[in-house]
Order: sequence, then structure tokens, then C-alpha cells
Amino acid sequence: MLNIQARQEGNAAVVTIQGKVNFEVTAQLRDVIRDTVAQQQPKLLVINLEGVSFIDSSGLGLLVAARNSVDKSSGKLHLCGLPPQVKKTFDQTNLTNYFSIFTTEQDALRGA
Amino acid sequence: MSKGVVLVVDDEPPIRDILSFYLKRAEYQVLVAENGVRGLEEMAKLSPDLIISDLRMPEMAGDEFCRQVKGEPSTRDIYFMLVSALDGSMSKIGGLNIGADDMISKPFHAQEVMAKVDSAFRLIAMQKEIKRQNTELTVFQERVKGEMELAARLQMGLLPTLPGSAPGIRYTHRYLPADGIGGDIYAITPLPDGSTALMIADVSGHGVTAALISAMVKTSFESHVRVSLDPLAWAVGMNQDLARNTLAEQFATAFLARIRPEEDAMDYVVAGHPAPFRIPGGSAGGARKPELLEGKGFMLGIDVDLPFTAQRAPFHLWDRLVLCTDGLVEVEREDRTYLGEEGLMRFCADLPEDAERAADQLIDQVRAFNGPAAFGDDVTLVVVDRMG
Repeated sequence: MLNIQARQEGNAAVVTIQGKVNFEVTAQLRDVIRDTVAQQQPKLLVINLEGVSFIDSSGLGLLVAARNSVDKSSGKLHLCGLPPQVKKTFDQTNLTNYFSIFTTEQDALRGA
Repeated sequence: MSKGVVLVVDDEPPIRDILSFYLKRAEYQVLVAENGVRGLEEMAKLSPDLIISDLRMPEMAGDEFCRQVKGEPSTRDIYFMLVSALDGSMSKIGGLNIGADDMISKPFHAQEVMAKVDSAFRLIAMQKEIKRQNTELTVFQERVKGEMELAARLQMGLLPTLPGSAPGIRYTHRYLPADGIGGDIYAITPLPDGSTALMIADVSGHGVTAALISAMVKTSFESHVRVSLDPLAWAVGMNQDLARNTLAEQFATAFLARIRPEEDAMDYVVAGHPAPFRIPGGSAGGARKPELLEGKGFMLGIDVDLPFTAQRAPFHLWDRLVLCTDGLVEVEREDRTYLGEEGLMRFCADLPEDAERAADQLIDQVRAFNGPAAFGDDVTLVVVDRMG
């Protein structure tokens, strides 16, 4: 089960993901992220992963692609709320050093 | 050209005549018979699209005739209208229960019958179209299935032949793609100096796209191995190949190693891949203490400029190396217990001496943990034993 919500916070767009992010759901998630970036053209895209229980390589690919697409429009991507299991996946793949990662959504929005 | 073929079965000539008259006027081709037995004989000559049959007839009554038509695979799709007096001999529901498609009650108006026939022919046309599309779809499916099977065989052919050996090592693998074809790949290549290059990789996603990229990963690995002995150079080169030639979301996790028996060691790069286990003395079997190889790093193909780091680990005589893709690690049961590295490491702590049996046992144990569900992801397992 995947639950995705997108909302606007000033100049930023916040996408909240809950559930298991795997191959079966990446198409759905890709659409939400693409639409959010296309419609709001946010200076900052925050993806909140607090409710994510599992992320596989296709999910990671999607986040990398999301970073590339906001990079192109001179925006920034901030991730926040990584649960331990997800954090471990990020560590193992060195993605902790590839993304800007914040503890809370507020930190991510402030960019601090 | 007629609009279709209608068989009229009735023991009363006036009824056959009047229905024939109206049907012919409406441009249907008409066959007639006076009972079920004659009706079947007519059908043997020319198959009708629709049958209008009386219920009460000598020799073979309408209900038995209907059962025979509907019980025979070659005729069961013929639209069957059963004509019956509403005198209790057969209710409408009873007629439909024996397989008739529609009921006409006696006495009837010819116009009512014709309206039903026209409506039935619209249904028949639709059914024919669906059947045609179904056939087309089946042919297409068969073709795709055939091509997938061919591709799967081709992919199997890309894997090293078993059982395999190279200077100072013996190895085996188990390869279980989730969809017949998958994004896992592994390769093992002897190098000119007596060492051996080894790669295990997992391309993001499943199916045909992942399989295509996995072939690309293997080609890339082999081309870099030909020009360098350094796993770090292989990782950097493969990362560039993949970042340039695939879409943003496509990348591969990989473990690349140069096994150097003469130095009792291996040099390796972990590129976002689950780190392998080294089991000291493991190729002798029995209770052992597996060690997770250190190291982490980016996946291949994210960005051309990403840095990688090389590591070195001992690989002594009789040591065993167990490598796998995340399909064997990231196994979550229905009750949400998760196998993970720790779980797999426990399974590796007591394996048989024989590498083939060790591989089977590991797969069986993970399968039992996951059971009854099948593996959801591509699974590859490689066991490498240091031999004298």
C-alpha cells in the first residue's frame, strides 16, 4: 500500500510518501513527482519519507531522477524523515552523500 | 449474401413455413428440420448461427436437442432459442437452465420472433468479434511468450558455465529471475596474471528493460577488465558507461572483485550492492563464522563523476565467499519479519562442504523463510571457494 500526498508550502512543494516503495508503485510515484515539478516549478522540493517502511532500487532510482529533474530547473531537492531501514539502504549505497538529507520536514523546508 | 444461417426445427409444417418466410424476407439463409434428430443432420451439412427449436417434437424433443447442441464443443456457441407453450411443460427459467440462450412462448407473433432474431444476431456479431480479438491476442501472447523464453535462454547463456573453476578457485551460482528474465547478472573472467575478475550486479527494475541493461553491464565489465587489473578503474569506467547510456532512473548495484589467490586476498569495490560474506575456512563446510565484507559506495550509473573506493580483504585457502543480489536479502514475510543481512548471515554460518549443496541449502532456507510466497525480486546467489 502506498499513500502519496503533494502540497505547496510557500515556494516549496512537499511530497509525503507512506508505505512500501518498490517496483510496483514507482510509476504512480513518478507521476506525482513529475506533475508536482511541472505544475509548481518549486524552488525547493521536499520529499518526506517518514512513513516509508521499505525502499528498493527502483525507488532509489526514482529519487535520483527527481534530483536530476529539479537540478535542471535550478531547484533543490531535500529529503527528510528517513526511517532506520531506509537510512541503512541510503548508507549502503552512499546516497546519504548524494542527497541533502534532513531530520524533520521543518528543517528540510528551512534548508538548515 | 445472407445475414446469417438460421435453423428452424419444428414438427408442424405451418410453423416452419411462416418462420422461414419471415426469415428469408429478412435476408437470412434458412435450414429446416422436423425434429432434433433431423436438426442435427442438417447441422452436419451446414453449421447455423442460430437455432429456433420447438420444445415438443417426436423422436428428439427440443430440450434434448438443446442439450446435445450445447454439450458439444463445436456447436455450443450457436445461439439457441427454445419455443415452448407456457402450459407448464417448460418454464422460461427451465429452458435457460438447460442451456438455451432465449425462450419464445407460444403462441407467438412472427414480428416478435424476428425482433429477437435480429437482436440475437447483433449479439452473435459481437461474440464473433470478441472471439476474433481473443484469437489475435492469444497469437500475440504466444509470440511474446516465445520471445521472452528465447530471451531468457539467451540471458542464461550470458552466465558462466557450471561448475566453474579458475586458478585457485571454484564457483557455482543459482539464478532465479522473477519474471523469467531479469536484471541480475554475474560474470567471472580469468585475468592474464593468474588472478580472476568477478562481478555480480543488479540492474534497477525488472523484466526486459532490466535484462537489456544487464547485458550492457556485462559487456561494459568485460571491456574494462581487458584494459585494467584494478577494480576501482572497472567501477569508474562502468559507472561512466551506464550513466551515459541509460535513463536517469536506471542504474545497477554491483560488487566487483579481483581475486588474487597468490596473495591470499581480493581487491574489491562495493557499488551500492549488498556486501558479500567471507566465511573463513567455509569451503570445508560445518559451523563457521561468516564476516560481512566492509565497504559501501554509489550505485553504478547515477552520475558520471561519482567517486568510488577500493577495499582489500583476505581470501585464504579454503575460505568461501557468498555473494548475492538483494532479492535474497530484502525478503519480508507476510508477518513483516525481515530477513536482512543478519538473517542471511545466520544461514551462512553452517553450510555443507560441497558448494552445490551449500547453494541449494541457502536458497531453500530463504525460500522457507519467505514461504509460501515466491521470491518477488530477481535472485542470484554465487558461491566461490578458495581451493588448493
